[in-house]
Amino acid sequence: MMIREAYTTVIAQAETWKGDVATEPYEAAWAGEAVFFLRVFKKGKGSLRGARVRVQISPDGMHWADEGSALRIPADQDEVTFCRVTNFGHYLRLAATLPKGAECQVLATLSLKA
Amino acid sequence: MDPIQRAIQRADPRLSKFDPLPRILFFDNFNDGMSGWNVLMGNYTESLDRRLPEYKLMTAPMLSNVTHWDGGTHGALDGSYAMKIATRPIRLAQTVALKRLTFPKACPIQLECYFTFKPEASELKLSELDVRSIGFIFDVQDQTHRVLPQIRYLNAMDGKPAHRWQYKDKCVPFSDMGEKTVSVFHYGEEYWEDIPGGEQRLCYNEIPTKINWHYLKLGWDLRTMRYTTLQCNDHVFDIAHLGGIEIKAMPNLWNLLNVILSVGTDLDKRAFAYFDSILLSGDWE
Repeated sequence: MMIREAYTTVIAQAETWKGDVATEPYEAAWAGEAVFFLRVFKKGKGSLRGARVRVQISPDGMHWADEGSALRIPADQDEVTFCRVTNFGHYLRLAATLPKGAECQVLATLSLKA
Repeated sequence: MDPIQRAIQRADPRLSKFDPLPRILFFDNFNDGMSGWNVLMGNYTESLDRRLPEYKLMTAPMLSNVTHWDGGTHGALDGSYAMKIATRPIRLAQTVALKRLTFPKACPIQLECYFTFKPEASELKLSELDVRSIGFIFDVQDQTHRVLPQIRYLNAMDGKPAHRWQYKDKCVPFSDMGEKTVSVFHYGEEYWEDIPGGEQRLCYNEIPTKINWHYLKLGWDLRTMRYTTLQCNDHVFDIAHLGGIEIKAMPNLWNLLNVILSVGTDLDKRAFAYFDSILLSGDWE
């Protein structure tokens, strides 16, 4: 039996997000499906109301387009949010826009499967 | 290696390009997955915030088919995929990938791989001095010492060509991470020394999106805790008299055998290193 390859990478390890931020490009041409998970480690300053976290895709890791999927930043530290994507081509990342003055520390995970 | 074993190895196209010791501990060509290579987490207790700042910049390895914006997929040496490690676009940032084992017996060991490195092709110019270094490291411990044999190819420094192999046998002091945990960033710019006769020019090619694979062999003897060999393509360097970073044995690391690969950037641009394949062999009965 051929087991489906899978790989999970933590694309934001307790990173503080504020303003416009994006995770580092991750190559995933081998994968057919992906799930992004998002946790909040520390609630920082300001209200996260209106914060947007988008999935972005790219053919080269340098030029990015919104894929259309989005995540909500969890409201509390025990919550995890997620979104599923397929047919993403080559590179994946998360791009976030937080309201002015707001910040939070996040753990973002990307789970890939062939 | 006896003649029959050598003939069998040479008849296998995947192994024929290597020169392994009699026993192969692993052979990873990255067409079947990541094979246990993973990101280096900096040590911490209580909070990830306690990691040393350099470790916070580390990113996870990727399975890459070496695709570029201009020419599309370049492909790997063996099959479609190679392992890629990438720095962040921050001057002097480094990333490492490692595979964690223990050694079954103190013996000679040997790392072989085919590698290449490139900066991110974010500028339409040669960019051959944008990657600072690519490193090859063991992290081993016997009953008395932890030793880190650490070699790098210094490609460029502060925008000037360097093109030479270096080693280090000293590192900065350990930091207390709380409870029973310590940490040290031993990959930094401190204490690097030139390997005598270590100059070598590698094949960068003519634009940032053309890659050429290079062969590397690094040998270490776990009995004597000394290097046995360093070879890159047709250059063989005498490093048998050199040692690694040596510290007193640490708790919980007995028979440690980690194989570590690194890449560093010389400026605020991502540096990439690719590996395909990687073979670790040993000589024990």
